Amino acid sequence: MSIFHGMNTTASALTTQRLRMDVISSNMANVDTTRAKFVDGEWEAYRRKTVTLKPLEGRFSNFLNVAVGTYEKGEAGNGVKVSRINEDRETPFKLVFDPTHIDADADGYVQMPNVDPLREMVDLMSATRSYEANVTVFNANKAMLSKALEIGK
Amino acid sequence: MSIFGGTISSLEKGLDYSAVKHKTIAQNIANVDTPNYKARSANFEAIFSEAKHATVSAYRTQEKHYDFKMQPTSSNVTRFANLRYRHNGNGVDMDKEQANLATNQIYYNALIDRVSGKLNSLQTVIKGGR
Repeated sequence: MSIFHGMNTTASALTTQRLRMDVISSNMANVDTTRAKFVDGEWEAYRRKTVTLKPLEGRFSNFLNVAVGTYEKGEAGNGVKVSRINEDRETPFKLVFDPTHIDADADGYVQMPNVDPLREMVDLMSATRSYEANVTVFNANKAMLSKALEIGK
Repeated sequence: MSIFGGTISSLEKGLDYSAVKHKTIAQNIANVDTPNYKARSANFEAIFSEAKHATVSAYRTQEKHYDFKMQPTSSNVTRFANLRYRHNGNGVDMDKEQANLATNQIYYNALIDRVSGKLNSLQTVIKGGR
């Protein structure tokens, strides 16, 4: 276990939360995008993207360190990572009646993205709060390390 | 008698515990949005007994008796496997983690302060009170 292990853990979380914010930004930016993908000769509207997180475990360096006895099994952990970015295929597209729209179907309905701005805002707040919490941890870690340097002064 | 009288090494063990505890808190807060993640906690007993290599063992008249010899466990970090705070199976209580973080920081500072105090006393003795 190195001195900066805690900082690395927190850094992984900061990266993750920032990526969540990026994905939310993408969703918000594409709230009206009707031509995101060209499928079978037709344009498909943008699909809301979601982020799946998982603990950062099972890395090669972990197993190596356990094998050579640098540290023990089941130690504090290595942080968090984004396992994948999914497209939301559960929520249906919103149908808007607009016959003048270029992507309107025969009945005059346009398929708009399944992005719900309210939901995105709630997710954004959640990501921001988690980011702030991790910044607090990082600062605490920094304070502890600088305090350790004061030994003997 | 050693010059440091065991104080520094005891404080050092305390610092070790505090560092591990901080790492678990960092891990818990990092995974506050991870589904099915369970909170972890640094185990003071395990670290301390491991550090001190306790040799006390129970007098057993039957093999079914518990042997309460403090065995250094394979891990000094415990997981709360059946704890749930959120609908996605996550077991991190953010308020508790933040409180632990603050407590741990103060504890760490206190230990550092004592190490420094001890070293300063020695310094005073070495310089002959000047």
